[in-house]
This record gives sequence, C-alpha cells and structure tokens, in this order.
Amino acid sequence: MAETHSLQDLRQQAAVAAKVFIQRDYTNGTLCQFQTKFPSELETRIDKQQFEETVRTLNNLYAEAEKLGSQSYIEGCLACLTAYTIFLCMETHYEKVLKKIAKYIQEQNDKVYAPRGLLLTDPIERGLRVIEITIFEDRSLTQ
Amino acid sequence: MAGSSSKSGGRGPSSSPLPHAVAPPSRPLRPSRYVPVSAATFFLVGSTTLFFCFTCPWLSERFSVAVPIYNGVIFLFVLANFCMATFMDPGIFPRAEEDEDKEDDFRAPLYKTVEIRGIQVRMKWCSTCRFYRPPRCSHCSVCDNCVEEFDHHCPWVNNCIGRRNYRYFFLFLLSLTAHIMAVFGFGLLFILYHRQSIDRLHAIVTLAVMCVAGLFFIPVAGLTGFHVVLVARGRTTNEQVTGKFRGGVNPFTNGCWKNVSHVLCSSQAPRYLGRKRCVQSVSVQPPFLRPQLTEAQLAAKILDNGIQGDLHRSKSSLEMMESQSCDAEAPPPPKPELRYPGITRENTEECSLLNKAPPTPTMYKYRPSYSPGKNHTALTHAYANQLSRGESTGSARDSSSSTSSLLQASQQPGFRSQPSLDRREAPADRAGGGPGADRREGGRESGGMPGYSLGGRSYPSFSDASVLSGGASRSSSSTHTSAGAAHVSEATTASASFKSLANQTPPPHRNGSLSYDNLLAGGDGLKDTAAPELSSGKPCAVVGGGFNTPFLSQPREVDLQSPHHHHHRSSHHHHPFLHRSSSSTSSSPPPPPERERLLVDPHLPPGPQSSGPAPQPAPHHHHHHHHHHHHHSHHHHSTSRPPRFAAPHAPPHHAYPYRTRSTDTPLGSASNTCQSSHSPHPPPLGKSLSYSSAAAAEMQYRLVRKASASAGANAAGAGGGGGMGGGAVQAPKDELIHMKRTNGDQPFSCSTPSSPSHPSPAHKPLGGSVKKVTGVGGTTYEISV
Repeated sequence: MAETHSLQDLRQQAAVAAKVFIQRDYTNGTLCQFQTKFPSELETRIDKQQFEETVRTLNNLYAEAEKLGSQSYIEGCLACLTAYTIFLCMETHYEKVLKKIAKYIQEQNDKVYAPRGLLLTDPIERGLRVIEITIFEDRSLTQ
Repeated sequence: MAGSSSKSGGRGPSSSPLPHAVAPPSRPLRPSRYVPVSAATFFLVGSTTLFFCFTCPWLSERFSVAVPIYNGVIFLFVLANFCMATFMDPGIFPRAEEDEDKEDDFRAPLYKTVEIRGIQVRMKWCSTCRFYRPPRCSHCSVCDNCVEEFDHHCPWVNNCIGRRNYRYFFLFLLSLTAHIMAVFGFGLLFILYHRQSIDRLHAIVTLAVMCVAGLFFIPVAGLTGFHVVLVARGRTTNEQVTGKFRGGVNPFTNGCWKNVSHVLCSSQAPRYLGRKRCVQSVSVQPPFLRPQLTEAQLAAKILDNGIQGDLHRSKSSLEMMESQSCDAEAPPPPKPELRYPGITRENTEECSLLNKAPPTPTMYKYRPSYSPGKNHTALTHAYANQLSRGESTGSARDSSSSTSSLLQASQQPGFRSQPSLDRREAPADRAGGGPGADRREGGRESGGMPGYSLGGRSYPSFSDASVLSGGASRSSSSTHTSAGAAHVSEATTASASFKSLANQTPPPHRNGSLSYDNLLAGGDGLKDTAAPELSSGKPCAVVGGGFNTPFLSQPREVDLQSPHHHHHRSSHHHHPFLHRSSSSTSSSPPPPPERERLLVDPHLPPGPQSSGPAPQPAPHHHHHHHHHHHHHSHHHHSTSRPPRFAAPHAPPHHAYPYRTRSTDTPLGSASNTCQSSHSPHPPPLGKSLSYSSAAAAEMQYRLVRKASASAGANAAGAGGGGGMGGGAVQAPKDELIHMKRTNGDQPFSCSTPSSPSHPSPAHKPLGGSVKKVTGVGGTTYEISV
C-alpha cells in the first residue's frame, strides 16, 4: 500500500535535473557541521536566506546530538552498569536527535523545497558526509 | 597482499553495496582472520572459568564472598566490552552512490585540502568508496571499508576500531588489565596459602591460570597504557603510528579532559549502514516557485556570460533558460546559447569555444568506471608484490590495498605521474602547501605532519610544503601572482589524472603519454597542470637565456617541467614547486632563503625511486644519497644536453624532487654544475646529506644569481664556489630546523632527502655506513653517512 503510493509519487514526480551536494564543514574538527555556502546551482531556485536557515538549523541539531551533556553521560553510565543491554530497549540520545532531524527535513521538504522543485536528502543516508539536494527539471516553464 | 587475493572473489558484490543496505555482502570466508579472536576468546573465557572453578571457592570461604563477586563483575564487564568491540559497527561509511561522484569528475584531484582550526588537513579520495575520506577516516584493507575516526584494525576482536566502538575497545582494555591483575593476584594468594599442597589439582590449575595471566599481562597492560596516552592526547592509533602529529599540532584535540570525556561520555554515534530508509513521501511536481531575481543578479548573470543581453528580458524566460542549464550532466555548458536565445549570435565564436571541450591529455579521458573493486583488485594484483613499506601493522596499512597498490604503481616507471602516494601519510600536504603558501611563509616548525600543515604555514614532514609554500608565497608575491593563483588552483586540481587513475588500472605507458600530451597539447589542453607550467615557463625563458641558452628556451622549460610535473612524488606538491622554481629563477633575485628552500626541497621529500632510464654516470656530488646522486647526475647530463629533455625524456622517470631541483640548477651554467658536484663533499656525519644537498642547492642558486648578474659562466662558477660556504651554512639551517621538527626526536640523519616512506631502497647508498631511520609516516629508510 505504502509502496504503491510512493510509486505513484515517483511517476508523477518531475524528472531529476541535477544534484547538488552540500559538503561538510570541518573547520571545527570532526563535529558534524555542513557548509552554509549557497551553491550556485540553487541560485535561481531558492532564496539564499531560506537555504542558509535550513542548513544552520541542521547544524544546530547535529551539534545538539553530539553535545557532551548530562544526558549522554547518564546514558553512558547506565549502559555500563547494565552491560550495554540497555541499548536493546532504549534509544540513544543521538538517535533521538536524528529522528528530530529527519522530521525537520521532511517538513522542510514539504513546505519549502518541494514547491520549488528541490528535494533534500537526509545526510545520514550518505554517512553524514553530504546533504544531497536534488534539483528537479522545471518542465512547465519550457512549454 | 595475501588478504587482497583471497578477497578478490568477493570484490564484486562488496564493492558497491547500496548505502542503506546492510554491511557489505559476505566476503569469502577466511579462517585465518578468526584465529586471533578465537584464541583470545578461548584464553579469556577458559582461564577465567578455571579460576572461578578452582580458585574462587576456597577464596570465598577463606576470605569473603566479595572476592568472586568482584571478579565476576569485572569479568562481566570484560565480556560485555569485548562483545561490543567485536560486533559493533565501528562507523563504516556506506559507499557513495554514483551520482555523487559525478560531481568530482575525473579531473578532480586525488587530495582535497580542508582547513581544520587553522591546520591544513588533506582528504584523500577513496577509490573503493568513491568519496573523499573525511578527516580521521581511513580505509581498512582488511574489512574493505572506510571507517570513521579509524583507530586500527584489531585482530583480537577481528574488527576495526573506529568512532563507534573505540570506547568499548578502550574499556575492554582497561577492564581486561584489571581482570588479569585480579586473577593473578588472587591466584598468587591461593598459592601462597597452599604451598604445602602445591601438587593438588587446584593448585596446579591455579598455577597454570597464573601463568597465562602473567603472560598476557605485559602486552595488555602495555597496550592499555598506550591507549590511555592516546585518549589523553586525542589521537588515534593510526595517527600516532603514522606520525601525523609528530610536529606537535593536533587539530582534533580539545584538551585532555575534553578528550577523555568525549571518548567515555559522548552519546553513541549512529551507524550509517543498515539504517531503515525513510521513504520520501513528498511529491515534487511543477510548477515550481522561483525566487525573485534582483536587477543586480540579472545584470551579473548577463555580464558574467560575456553577452550583452537585453536586461529587460522577462524574468520567466530567463529562469527557464536557467533551469535548462541546470543539468549537471552537461559538458561545459552551452549556457549562453540557451540562456538568451533571443540574442543575436554575435558570440557564436565564443559559444563554440565554450561548447567545445578543451583537448585533454590522454590520461584525463579515462572516466572512472564505477566498479572500483575490479580495478582495485587489478592494481593490487599487479603491484602487490611491490609493496614498499615495511608497515606491518594492519592499522598502518589502513589505506586500501588500492592505495598501496597505487603506491606501488606510482613507484613503477610507468606511474611516475601519480602523486607519490607511497608515503602514506606522506609528508607535505602538498595541496595544502599551495593555499597555505599564499598566506604566509612556509613554516618550519612542526614539520612532521604528513597531510597536515598549519594554515598559512605548511608543516610538511619533510619541509616540502614549507619549501613550497615559502617559495610559493614569495614567488607569487614577486612576479607570478598569476602563477601562484594558478598554482593554488592547480594544487588542488593537479591530480585529476590521479583520481581517475586511482579508480582505474592505468597502463604503464600512460605516464609517458601524459607527459607527451602535456607537451603537445599546449596550454589549452592542460587546463590544470600544464597551463600553469607554461605560464611559468615563459618567464623562465627570459632568465634562462642569460646563461644557459639552449636550456632556457620556453619549450625546454615546458619540457623540463611537464615531465617533472607528473612524475613527482606528489604531483600537486611538486607542481607548485616547479612553478616556484621556474618563477623564482625567472624573477631573478628571489630572496635567498626562499631559493634555498626551494632548492633544498627536493632533497627532503622522500627519495623517490630512481626508476626510469638508468641514471648516467656522473660526478658524485652527493655521496650520501644514491637517489640524489643519480638524479643530479641525470640532470647534469640533461642540462649539458638540453635536447634530451625533449620527448625522450618525457617518459616518466623523473619522479623525484631531485629532478625538479636540478631544473633550477641547470639554469646555472653547466660548468657550475660540474663544480657543484665536487664541492659538497664530505659533510658532517648525520647532517651530511642535508648540508651537502642544501649546500649544493645554495651554490647553484648563487651560481644563478651571479650568472645573471655577471652574465658569465666562469664568474658564476667562482661566485658559486665562494658562496658555497656561506650558502651551506644558511641553506641547511632552515632545512635542518625544519627537519628537526619534522622528525621529532630523530637525529638529523633523518632529514635526508631520502623519501620517508621509501619502500625498498633500490640503490645502495654510496657511503660506507648506512643508517636506517624512521621517518615521518612511520617508514624507515636508509641514509648513508
């Protein structure tokens, strides 16, 4: 059921024209941050501010995921004490934030990017190396 | 490599797993991989079980029940961490999908530099995984995966240790040490109380367990101590072993406390493989919204395309054209045509030029196939037996077998054009040297960081980048800012061919053809490498005419440079060097230190293999290093016979820095070179090589200067000889300082030009004694003193 739904979506989808990859920003070490530089391919498709806001929010979310806070500390201690069996039941802090990120990306896609013929791909699918933005062909204007 | 051959069968399926698939499909079963882990498990569980069965009952009765409880808890901890370290995904990166790679077309460089906290870090292209490895990521040849924050591949747990499971590995070591100490201690207690009944079974078993514990304690405790230090310093085993931070600056450290807390207390990193893929339920259909282009943007676009268009053209049509040109698949875009169809074709010529792809050398036309596994294997098979370095640790062999095979390839005569990947973390962030150079002088402080250099100051392991950057910055500041800029861009793009080579099985003759193509294709065809050469070649011709006429005609320079270009150890590293050297010679009085650095530079980098045409016999000027000798001799011959630098020389064999160095020196008179060959003879031990090479370089430089000043070969020779003494003092100073830093505690002998990762010295050193030195990159090389 869900699959057919997505297949229908695919058929109705515009064709993929290009893909832009937003690379990681390593200036602060291996923390997960993405470059906020606005790629030239998107210049005609989306506002620069909009894009930067999206990437900045993602960066903040990833920073929150990797934060060495009390939650992660407690989680670590608990895991140690239970011989790591706690991982079978509990979701780690990072995973929770990843879920938040996935939701945020979905929401951005729905509200901002899909209407503009763009699609963000969750960077976790690429190993947190790039944010992939798919640019769809704008057939309507060519007609 | 034994591993690669047996893994070859599984290369196909494992080379291109879907990113969201489970871990790479099964590779052929290799029972030898499971021996250490089985042994470890056996000893651990077996000994502890015996301890609990034979020793603990008496102990719990005699002393307290807390003894077995304590031991039980610790043992449980050991087991839990052992299992986590063994079975947990260390942070494997999924293979990049094919469309991601198209962005980095086959002209993309093998290395990309990124600045981390002011330090230039090099990211290498992984041909197996098809992306540029993030910092601290490394490709494990055993597992055939790129692992995030790769520490090492541990045979005892038969797993890579990376970002995700380092904590468990570390805790495993700590707890195992505690466990061994407890077992040994309580066993000793048991024996002490049972001295009379030592022949009983319980005592014998306890003695056996104590023996096992005692035997394992030393290595385990040693490893634990080692990792405690690593954690405190914020380094990985890979970085420690390859000497990346020997100079002292680690961009990844946050201080001892933060490092420890990051290892122990950070949240569990997510795994990348085997994730449930969320289905995109978004439907993307036109019509699409468009942002409002401002007038300025429109104007910028039009002017940018060099087309005077109608600014009042409707935005919608403009955007329509824009969207059409968005196709990333298109070759250099026929953008102007599409964008402004209404414009009369006055720019037809421009458009046609834009549309036509520039002629590319043969090398570049190889589009990397998306089956890196096959190529990987082919390379491995072809060059596996050429494995140079003595890096025995599996971790040190982190670079994929393709890399090492490439390294081997690079050492073959036919592969000189590749960057000398063989110094694995080989010194000099060459690409980093470029950008960094433009900012400031090459730093000579913490040399020993292959692949890392401080922003603005390069800290190559062997002063390569410092020389380069020094040269680069100066030369770029002097007259060849364009060259410098070209260099910068070129530094990052220099090894386009290398990335494609990395992805394919380059035939051995390719390098030869590459150099030919460089020569023949002209500036246009060699966008990335030759063009800068040519541009810098021109100025050289001016100066060259002064004293070594046959040598300095422009084509010569190009000839000289282009083969050198592609046969350097690390191509982009040396390209800038070439630029610098040529440009520095052209701008007649480059500052001496720069010149020295330039001149000494070739010595420092790993002594390239002197493959290629047999070096001609020539006067010895540098006894110390055979390579150097050969190259110099060769160069001298070439200088005296410039025509030799034409096509016949193009065939690779110039990989070595010495070559580039000699290209400078030939600018001096040939007679000077002969003289120079005699002067630097007997150097102080240890420093001999560097002094002599630097001295020779300095002498050459002075020769050049004097030659240009006096326009007389003899005067130059005399001046060169006279300047030798002074030059020798000055020239090596920087080099030595740099060397010192580079090699940390290594004696000066380390700072010889021999390549740090020189695999197996093909030449016997001429000197009597041979010193084996471990250089940056963890490789040993021989220096004759």
